[in-house]
Amino acid sequence: MINIQDIRDTARDLLAKGEVRAVIGWRAGSRGMPAEPVVITAPEQADELVWDPTCYHNLALHLVEDRKFLAHARKTAGAPIGIIAKGCDARAIVVLMQENYFKREDVYIIGVSCEGSGMIAEWKVARQLDGAVPTAAAFAGDEFAFATAAGEKRLPAREVMADRCLECRNPFPKEHNVALGEDKTGRALEAPFAALARFETRSEGERWEFWQRQFDRCIRCFACRSVCPMCYCEECVVDSINIAVAPETTAEEKANRIRWIERSAVKSENITYHMTRAIHLAGRCVDCGECERVCPVNIPLRLLNNKMEREARERFGYEPGASIGGPSLVASFRDDDPGAFIR
Amino acid sequence: MSMEKILDKARLNDWIAALAKGGDWEVHAPALEDGVWTYKPVGDAVRMDHPNTKQPPKGFSFPQREVFFSFEQIKGEAPRLTQVMPDPKRRAVFGVRPCDGRGAVRMDRVFADNVNDPYYQARRKNVAYVGLACNTPPAATCFCKSVGGSPVSTDGLDILLTDLGDRYHVAAVTETGKAMMAVAGSPLADAAAADRKQVKQVHGEAVAQPQRAVNNPEAAPAKLKASFNSPLWEELARACIGCGICTFLCPTCHCFDLNDEMTGTVPIKGNRVRTWDNCQFPDFTMHSSGHNPRENTAARLRQRVCHKFQYFHENFGMLQCTGCGRCVSECPVGIDIVAVVNKVAEHVA
Amino acid sequence: MSEQQPYEPKIVAFLCKWCSSAGSDLAGVSRIQYPANATPITVPCSGSMSPMYILSAFNKGADGVLVSGCHIGDCHYMEGNFLARRKLHLVKELLQFIGVEENRFRMSWVSAAEGAKYAQVVKDFVEDLRPLGSQEKLKAQRT
Repeated sequence: MINIQDIRDTARDLLAKGEVRAVIGWRAGSRGMPAEPVVITAPEQADELVWDPTCYHNLALHLVEDRKFLAHARKTAGAPIGIIAKGCDARAIVVLMQENYFKREDVYIIGVSCEGSGMIAEWKVARQLDGAVPTAAAFAGDEFAFATAAGEKRLPAREVMADRCLECRNPFPKEHNVALGEDKTGRALEAPFAALARFETRSEGERWEFWQRQFDRCIRCFACRSVCPMCYCEECVVDSINIAVAPETTAEEKANRIRWIERSAVKSENITYHMTRAIHLAGRCVDCGECERVCPVNIPLRLLNNKMEREARERFGYEPGASIGGPSLVASFRDDDPGAFIR
Repeated sequence: MSMEKILDKARLNDWIAALAKGGDWEVHAPALEDGVWTYKPVGDAVRMDHPNTKQPPKGFSFPQREVFFSFEQIKGEAPRLTQVMPDPKRRAVFGVRPCDGRGAVRMDRVFADNVNDPYYQARRKNVAYVGLACNTPPAATCFCKSVGGSPVSTDGLDILLTDLGDRYHVAAVTETGKAMMAVAGSPLADAAAADRKQVKQVHGEAVAQPQRAVNNPEAAPAKLKASFNSPLWEELARACIGCGICTFLCPTCHCFDLNDEMTGTVPIKGNRVRTWDNCQFPDFTMHSSGHNPRENTAARLRQRVCHKFQYFHENFGMLQCTGCGRCVSECPVGIDIVAVVNKVAEHVA
Repeated sequence: MSEQQPYEPKIVAFLCKWCSSAGSDLAGVSRIQYPANATPITVPCSGSMSPMYILSAFNKGADGVLVSGCHIGDCHYMEGNFLARRKLHLVKELLQFIGVEENRFRMSWVSAAEGAKYAQVVKDFVEDLRPLGSQEKLKAQRT
């Protein structure tokens, strides 16, 4: 099990020696149990850092934010930025580097292994604790320990872990500068793609019935897009301004921009948005599951991304986030890619 | 004179049926669908054991999308415009929490007091809110008391229900509420002195429940005003990912966008559509020139917080935030408006 | 009897300019009879197809979408159709995954010399689309 003090010491050392200009990590949140992302810049802030089963945020997103911030401010990075990364965070960082979003030497990865467990799903905890409101959560071997007003409550990790973590095979951040915790690569508490396999037993009609209900509910808050480290495009097809506006862009060009997807949060437009996003994430999604976690109306977005991930793996032998070198899924091909569907 | 009645819980559905039949009301109530509490037209049974709905009932008067008019341009002819008014169905919304009732008051200030928004008003005058007092311990994110509300507030509601175990205490707040209580076939019975006493006690206990608080909310507008150029905003917004959850789930956010959606090209045909807009999106303030006056999450977070706690107060003399806590509980990265206001206030001497 | 027209599926056909587009021309100049249901849109290469085009065609009311390019090995840009094969496989899978009928989306390899094949592809597609009726699942809602 990882000692939080090791994480803090590592971050403190790096900042004190000036090896990194900041460390992205988690600290205790102000609204109760969940941790929140934080960027620390001074060694003495290292004591704020926490590591518990509510560190679900994919911090690779904040590397993207940092990169965007520097680009807008026209600043150069100088020293690398440090980041505390779980297995999924590290895979996301690998994809970003594979796409040349930043270079390996720009990032110092403090890997943390989820070992035999992972992150909680808040709704599962709420169901199990039957009304008791936890104020903090901690790893405790095969269990999680929750602090509540009525004292400590322990729950088996498997009962309250997020689905994405149950299906995770790579809880250890393979790409790292320093790694803490045990390497348990290959473990899966549930069969990979278990939820997907269950879903695919449904008929075409049932699948449509299911998805149209899900998409009808979407409010287009774009939290799924905002929380995704892979959704780093400066302009997105769904934005009301989806062309790069430069001083020489004419009024006609702005007015006649193509509107692929209308702003209205109606089923047809919502479907087009989510389908576009799923395709755009094919071969890039590392299944951190953040889109599904943050969705305020519980759309099971992981199913879409898992479908693409499994196609990539089974049909094209491609695994997102596995290596920094090498081409991406849709920029490469093999002579024997399936083609029987083509007339 | 106030009107107080008692409703046997087992007869709640009878009252709803009477409203539908005798009063021509389309009744909506919270239902748990795919794990989300949502207002739905009432089917067979109504549950009123919801914490709060994921979305406030704001959409009944201000839907996320509405068509204003349709247009058609036939070559050589004058353009044809056809206004599309909302359907005049009367809707009774059950189970509205007091914070959301107070949200409706604030929406009315925006769309009905200073300006006359015919679409909003056409919907609003046909909506009745049947509130439900919060007499269970508040959620960890609730803070209605510190922004001038209360778990038993009647502001913006037409009727307030209070759960008394096996029955509801039903109190009329408006004339519409009285008419709904007196609807033909209503199973409401007169409240006895014991019921009144119990309600008083339940309300007293509810109000006494501890909540998180915005410290010294009266001073917030001035403190925020003084903080406009503070570097603190950058730090507070550091984790912000720029999604629209906080505003789209807010009972008082009311910004909107207008777009023309084409339905045909020969002849040119389409609809002018109003949709919600969101100050947390980068393109919200994007100018045609490419310049963006609120160019980062810090400026956008400041806008949201200051609108709730300063600008609205300057315009309408009340805080816009009603303390429902949705933006706090749903924020993907834990940005907490209570902590933000308190930190800013602390920071500004 | 009223003058009711029988249902005719609307097809949007994205045709590679180097092969299938010429193939469709050849079908025309050869006077091959085939249904007039497909609206052709010439694209520079099947590999240039954005999934967005397909989704957008369905959004704008297409009953079926056809993408046709050069045979494997014949791409003017060497490997565009290899990339198309992979990318559009994903689109096809995703459409079926959310419950859109398999026969709504089709891909073919048609060379500039295969006018007869193009005619056959369109003919088959129309026949397969006819029983499905009009496509409402992905069509824009505007009212």
